[in-house]
Amino acid sequence: MKNLLAVKDLSIEFDTKAGRKRVVDSISFQVGEGEVLGVLGESGSGKTITTSAVLGLIQGNPGVVNGQILLSTGDETLNLLAGLGDVMTGNKGIEVKNVRRWDRLVSRRMKSVWGSQMTAVFQNPRASLDPLIKVGTQVAESVALAHPDWTATRVRDKALDWLQRVQLNAPERVYVSYAHELSGGMCQRVMVAVALAREPRLLIADEPTTGLDTTVRAEIVKLFASLIDEENRAMMYISHDVREVLYLADRVIVMKDGVILETSTAHDIRHGYGQRAPYTQFLLESAGIFEGDPNA
Amino acid sequence: MLKGQLGLWSSGTIVGIFCLFGFIAPLVDYSAQDAVNQRERQFCPPAFVDATPEQSRSCPKPTGSFFGTDHLGREVGIRLFKGIQAVFFPGCLAAILAIFIGGLLGAVGGYTQGALRAITLGLIRIIDTLPRMVFLILVCTIFRPSITLIAVVAGILSIPTVATVVRVKVERLASEDYILAHIAHGFRPVKILLYHILWLQCRSVLIRQASFIFGYIVFIEAALCYLGDYGVQEPQPSWGNMIAQAKSYALMSTWPWLFPSLAVMVTIAAFMAFGNVIANRDEGAKR
Repeated sequence: MKNLLAVKDLSIEFDTKAGRKRVVDSISFQVGEGEVLGVLGESGSGKTITTSAVLGLIQGNPGVVNGQILLSTGDETLNLLAGLGDVMTGNKGIEVKNVRRWDRLVSRRMKSVWGSQMTAVFQNPRASLDPLIKVGTQVAESVALAHPDWTATRVRDKALDWLQRVQLNAPERVYVSYAHELSGGMCQRVMVAVALAREPRLLIADEPTTGLDTTVRAEIVKLFASLIDEENRAMMYISHDVREVLYLADRVIVMKDGVILETSTAHDIRHGYGQRAPYTQFLLESAGIFEGDPNA
Repeated sequence: MLKGQLGLWSSGTIVGIFCLFGFIAPLVDYSAQDAVNQRERQFCPPAFVDATPEQSRSCPKPTGSFFGTDHLGREVGIRLFKGIQAVFFPGCLAAILAIFIGGLLGAVGGYTQGALRAITLGLIRIIDTLPRMVFLILVCTIFRPSITLIAVVAGILSIPTVATVVRVKVERLASEDYILAHIAHGFRPVKILLYHILWLQCRSVLIRQASFIFGYIVFIEAALCYLGDYGVQEPQPSWGNMIAQAKSYALMSTWPWLFPSLAVMVTIAAFMAFGNVIANRDEGAKR
């Protein structure tokens, strides 16, 4: 399988009152075309900050300090962290980064990447939707960006189609609703529609089920499974829920304290093949999945 | 609920009438020169007040002047009406100037980083240090006083207020989840800034500020006339110079200064209230 995204030796640091803290330490992983990579880890393990780095949306100083993020756009391979060395200067053993220059560099480079190559679904769906625009219009805006030459009617039809595909009842009614008029689960479905309507090659889902009811969570996870399958898109699915990740992912990486403890296929973990890292074992057991439980 | 509606309707009516008069006043023919020197008709009382025998002689019934006449025998009513014309378009000019430049500077200052932000904030602060009233009087002394000049200067002096409210709002919104989501979906930053942040989120504060600036122009025109004949020049009528003229004869007749003073007060209060009510309604609708 060809790699769509390859992250090599990614390190992320932040300055805190107690000095500089390394939150992600030289991690490497790949996402193949059409593959679902599950990122598993507890809160504070660095999984969300890793996705922000991939998306070029890290806020804070100094942020990414080392590594490569290679994205294959089909015709060429882009290094999303190219030029990182130029903005770093050594100073008394601690590297200083010209964050402003770096941000400018990143936003210029990511212009062609955001949306068409990759996009994201974040946790807290209601806050991810513009509160003052009808949700249908937001889906339509996304469609229009993916197909700039389409007519308004065609865009609208496609947006309605997307609302249908994310299994919302009464898409016409949802189309003219505002985010605050919808439930959390409905908002997340709309968010999935907005993200997928942009037709990205890689979808990054950052704990998309956090804060939703258990039943709604199951529905959202199933929705992801069916849509990703249909479209054959690559996805990074970040979650602290072992069952969700095992259900969706082809391959799983387990993160703790900013390092990757284990990389394995979901199949192996489900069936208990191979050697588990103790922490992975602990996660599995705390989710009530015991070794060699094929029903997991 | 009722209170809010009452405020909206009362202030809205006054603002509406003011704007309507502002538009039609230039169409009404009133030669200020012709109206001067009808001294025999000076200080006629308003139609709803009984005239003294002395006044009855010089002001034959029907006087046709509902608001009475001033010290030159000119109709106060028509001058009140034409006085709106003097401040209406300058007020619009000042509001538009402050809203556009202030909104843009505020957005740039709140959204960008680095040198551009520093320059913008510095510019805003420099304008903010100028004391408005003193600066306006200074400008009027240096240049030939005209209401357009006053409006332009007052508009520029209002830029910091507008820019600051917009900047605070933009700074807060720039790190909101949905703005980040929009960026991740590949929306153009200019569109996010101008449409999603400035138009959708700052609309209500901009309306409020525009309304305030309009009220401020009415106030500043009256104040400058009163302080030293800097506002609209005679024989062009304006509320400010009507009060300024009538104050010399304040004890001889109450009416010539009472009506324009009331008009100034009510108009400023109405514009202030209208701006607040509209903005609060808009913000309430967002929740």
